[in-house]
Amino acid sequence: MLRYVIRRMLLLIPTLFFVALIVFALAHAAPGSPFDKNENRPLPQATIDRLNRLYGIDKPIHEQFVLYLGNAIRFDFGSSLVKDRTVAEIIGQEFPISAQLGVQALLLALAVSLPLGVISALKQNTGVDYASLLFATIGTTIPSFVLGIVAIYVFALNLRLVPIVGWGTPKHMILPTIILALPAMAYLTRITRASMLEVIRQDYVRTARSKGLSEQVVIVTHALKNAMIPVATIVGPATAGLITGAFFIETIFSVPGMGRDFVRSINSRDYPLIMGVYLLYAFLIAVANLTVDIVYGFLDPRIRMAK
Amino acid sequence: MTPRDKAPWSLLTVFVALALVIGACQAQPSGGPTATQAADQPDPNGELVTNLGSEPDTIDPHKASFVGEISVIMSVFEGLMTLDPKTLKPVPGVAAKDPEVSSDAKTWKFTLRDGVKYSDGNPVTAKDFERGFLRTCDPKTAGEYSFVLYVIVGCEKWNNMDVKKATPAELDAAKKAVGIKVPDDKTIQFDLTEPAAYFGSIAYMWVGMPVQASSLEKGGDKWTEPATYIGNGPFKLTEWKHNEKMVFERNDGYWRGAAKLKKWTRVMINEGAVAFAAYRNNELDVFGAGAEDLRTVEADNELKGQLKDVPGSCTFYIGFNTRKAPFDDVNSRLAMAKAFDRDAFIKDVQKIGAPANGGFIPPGFPGYDKDDPAQKFDAAGAKAALAKSKYSGKPEMQNIKFTYSSNARTKTRVEWLQQQWKANVGVDVVPDPVDSTAYTQLVKKPETLPLMFILGWCADFPDQQNWLTTVFHSTSLSRTGWKNDTFDKTVKAADQETNKEKRDAQYLEASKLLSSEAPSAWLYYNAGKTLMKPWVKGVTTTAIDAALGQFRMYEIYVTKKG
Repeated sequence: MLRYVIRRMLLLIPTLFFVALIVFALAHAAPGSPFDKNENRPLPQATIDRLNRLYGIDKPIHEQFVLYLGNAIRFDFGSSLVKDRTVAEIIGQEFPISAQLGVQALLLALAVSLPLGVISALKQNTGVDYASLLFATIGTTIPSFVLGIVAIYVFALNLRLVPIVGWGTPKHMILPTIILALPAMAYLTRITRASMLEVIRQDYVRTARSKGLSEQVVIVTHALKNAMIPVATIVGPATAGLITGAFFIETIFSVPGMGRDFVRSINSRDYPLIMGVYLLYAFLIAVANLTVDIVYGFLDPRIRMAK
Repeated sequence: MTPRDKAPWSLLTVFVALALVIGACQAQPSGGPTATQAADQPDPNGELVTNLGSEPDTIDPHKASFVGEISVIMSVFEGLMTLDPKTLKPVPGVAAKDPEVSSDAKTWKFTLRDGVKYSDGNPVTAKDFERGFLRTCDPKTAGEYSFVLYVIVGCEKWNNMDVKKATPAELDAAKKAVGIKVPDDKTIQFDLTEPAAYFGSIAYMWVGMPVQASSLEKGGDKWTEPATYIGNGPFKLTEWKHNEKMVFERNDGYWRGAAKLKKWTRVMINEGAVAFAAYRNNELDVFGAGAEDLRTVEADNELKGQLKDVPGSCTFYIGFNTRKAPFDDVNSRLAMAKAFDRDAFIKDVQKIGAPANGGFIPPGFPGYDKDDPAQKFDAAGAKAALAKSKYSGKPEMQNIKFTYSSNARTKTRVEWLQQQWKANVGVDVVPDPVDSTAYTQLVKKPETLPLMFILGWCADFPDQQNWLTTVFHSTSLSRTGWKNDTFDKTVKAADQETNKEKRDAQYLEASKLLSSEAPSAWLYYNAGKTLMKPWVKGVTTTAIDAALGQFRMYEIYVTKKG
């Protein structure tokens, strides 16, 4: 097992290398420059040249890439081209905020979706099941930016339960946590339900029942554990997505997290920041997938043996 | 300076409407102060909360160029000159009196006021101003706005040096060659490359803000954090939570006397609909309304009473490529310029803004020509001009491509114009949307300049030079390729004229010539609509405000909110 984990960790290096290569190439392939964004106010060419030289983006692209990698290996991710701060500072400050919000949302999503999914499966085609279907459909189809704005108008402006401005207190976090959790919650409910339905029809569940085990033991230790495999597959990458921040949620709730950087850095052609946020995202996805693979082994020993 | 675009999606506004419907079913917030005895008295502990929008990329005065950035700088620093909020003419700020200008207008000497201090108590010296101006010219300062100071001898040369190739000795020599002299702690003198009668207006700008050596030494790259971001203006920055808020407190040692506000918090809400909700929730004291908010405001008597018009600092215009047929003929240009109803444009399309029924320079600015008739909407006049054009009835005058930066709002503008031209002068225009980055590149080079396009210009400093010379002189930006010797000569003469009346008259003449030659058709002057809570008082707005009441910031106060 340990050897497997180490091997997978080592595989991270080429993975991140190729991600870096692709992101770097795409970012630089997009037309435009970080210093020439305003159609109404063209900068003198001499000014653009000077800034390009100063930030080293006048060099051939492969040279820039090698330079970037060399620095990145020493954990120097450079300075933002548009902000007066380094990439490490920006991410170091924003990521914990997004991560906290993401973890809260994930826990909430799991706490609701797993029981709801299991109950729906056990009470298939009953009122509970239909209610959960309705909830899941709403959760997946209405975009978070709509729910977010509606939530602000209802809970902050009309009911005055939470403030709109500011960040940091639990009151500020309630709405964004719930809205961020909703789509994941809805989706996981459906997956849990489907997976559970399949498992409870399996022979070994019937065997367990025929042995005279109580329904509770059958469901929790025999069925649920196996039903968790597809759920784990999805929760892994979803975690990476949730903790790196969500553009719309952060914009609407004025969350000072890093989700907005994924879009802003591209719009402003801020190459070092683009690299920083996407490499972090890739790294987290890879780690999440690795974690999922390890968890499989605990959920189903057959998977561990196969490796 | 450059205004920031709003959030990049507009679908959201549709859903805001939905939210408003839901909101309307609920009880309205009972905002507004209850009457107190001291209704008009400043609250000595008053706090103002406004929205800065997105986080400023930089608040370094020698690098900044965007409105949000400048609004922070102007709260914390004060330059040699400031502007009179009524006329927008430069008046002494830290300078004790108007500058002494040599007879050839190439040497400008400023004497500093006694007793001006930074918020940490240190005196402001001429050396600090020199340090500030030099930082803007320094090629190592990654500033985008340095070109404003190229009028100072040696600034452009030093600024464009390659810091990696030039030797330290060469760089040092270039720095020494910059025409700024500081004979003593109270005097600073500038040598200019040309007689620049507008230099007094430049001296108000952020690019020339003073900075202490100790701030830069202690703070290094991070000197713009509160500990070392020490200025001489009405407020000091006491807290900066990145992407969340900036907190300013009054600078008790401000030379004009401490500001009436104790605290000014600027939060960073990117989404207009959310900021509007925060305003209605009394969490913001001021809110810049968007066109999409107006219906809600109009429907609510309380909000309606809080709405104020604020003038803007930009003019948007339709540019013609004057090098190409059919727009190399002035009559073709005039036909287009006269053929759309600017009042209807504001009413039907723009909603917030003012019709550009005058010249290029917008209202509120020196040089605004209210009664410029040259491009006035006149369908008959437009047809007459078209008849005079050598392309009248020719294929060049049909299916003219109108290139614009593709987004929903500009699309509406362009389609409205297309209809007007068809209806009023019978010219077919073909809208040609391109992606914004491509558009920026297209309109930049003469070879790729589209036949027709939309651009805008926002003032850097309030002087006719910054409008007429900078945008339309044939050797400066000259976006349309238009060249007119009389215009060039007139604006250059005015740039150098030290007699104020004579200078204004020359610019007015040039402005009228520009409108009648119509290298561009003026479309609208931007403007804003601001909601302000009744407890916010003493705000004097101007057309060039980056921050609320920028030039009388220390007079703003709030009464008890009740």
